[in-house]
Amino acid sequence: MNHDQSLEQADLYALGALDGRELAEFEAHLATCAICTERLRETREALVTLPRSLPPVAPPPALRARIVERVAAEPRVTPAPARRRPERRRTRVIWWAGWAGLAAAAALLLVVNAQLRATRQELQALQGRVATLQTVLAQREEALRFLSDPNVRYVSLGGLKPTPEASAWLLWNPTSRQGLLLARGLPAAPPGKAYELWALAGSQPVPAGVFGVDERGRALFRLPQLPAGQTFDAFAVTLEPAGGVPQPTGPMHLLGKVL
Amino acid sequence: MGTVAPDVSVRLLGDIARGDRDAFARFYDLHAALVHTFALRVLREPAEAEEVVQDVFVQVWRQAETYSRDRGTPEAWLITMARSRGIDKLRSRRRRNQMVRPAENPDRLPEPIALESASGPAEARATLGGALTELPAAQRSVLELAYFDGLTQSEIAAKLGEPLGTVKTRMRSGLERLRGMLSGHSGAERA
Repeated sequence: MNHDQSLEQADLYALGALDGRELAEFEAHLATCAICTERLRETREALVTLPRSLPPVAPPPALRARIVERVAAEPRVTPAPARRRPERRRTRVIWWAGWAGLAAAAALLLVVNAQLRATRQELQALQGRVATLQTVLAQREEALRFLSDPNVRYVSLGGLKPTPEASAWLLWNPTSRQGLLLARGLPAAPPGKAYELWALAGSQPVPAGVFGVDERGRALFRLPQLPAGQTFDAFAVTLEPAGGVPQPTGPMHLLGKVL
Repeated sequence: MGTVAPDVSVRLLGDIARGDRDAFARFYDLHAALVHTFALRVLREPAEAEEVVQDVFVQVWRQAETYSRDRGTPEAWLITMARSRGIDKLRSRRRRNQMVRPAENPDRLPEPIALESASGPAEARATLGGALTELPAAQRSVLELAYFDGLTQSEIAAKLGEPLGTVKTRMRSGLERLRGMLSGHSGAERA
């Protein structure tokens, strides 16, 4: 095989397209060939054009918080730089002074080390809190942005027979078909069950997401974007199997009309 | 998606290697969207794409010092990591699917998961734009099948019903053009 063929294989290898015997051959060749290594680098660089040409989709802020938190909990083991020690002859005096100094330094090191560890733990805890706060802040900002849209309608949902004391506000934007549900007074759903929100177009219920409540019976739930082409005139909440169902089956807990 | 000046990222990677968490957060903010967009295109499944993003950035944290400038830009490094994880997941998913419902024709590869089944409308419409529209469709599709869908040259040939040689030629011409575009306007922003 001449070397041009290897370069061609480098391209297919960068794409992940080589297989079978060609793959084994090329990998063996690559291990010893600087030209093919460079070609592989160049091709990988060129290939980044592919994902860069896609419409960007930002990852959810919660993912950032999760990753930052994970990293905060993981101390980094930095390999210590190799230090060269000059070989030198020492006199006795310097030797003893050296030991005394070393003992003092070791004692100091212990103290500093303990303090350092405490500081690092504090720092990690703080970084975790900052990440959490950033997520909360991002959520609030999103809610604020949502609220400031003049198209948003306020739908009041009242508690029905199973939970007469429950109530909710649904902030509904019929233009963007997005919404935010703030509920209170709902009991925790029994195991295997969850609350499901429905958007009603006439008598036709459209599933609008499954949510749970916190220990105080409250929920803040962002609706998925609802399908276009329908005018929703009411919203309802029923108790359903935890994964949600396409059509309501359980008792209705909340109901409210879009006015 | 614009490119990020590699210098800044290289500097940040140096700081990350020294355990700087702020640098890590900045590095994440610079590159997370590209990695996520890529993983989502490969896997077409938001939860799995997020796993890939997490794996890649945790690896950045653990192995920042193994990055070397001679081996390419940080973006290429990230995408190489994301691709190997993404394609692994894709292949194990395909194996699972094949076990669940053995195809009538065992030589046929399972179709990629339908876009609409997993992701929202924004992702579903994700198609290559920008400079890539300059590539002839036949070249573009073999590049996409290999790079994003993780098919090897023989699998692509079988899927398209084309001779292996034709598939290879198309891939190489496509790559030739990509490289040409990069050197044509280096530091290329999407057109």
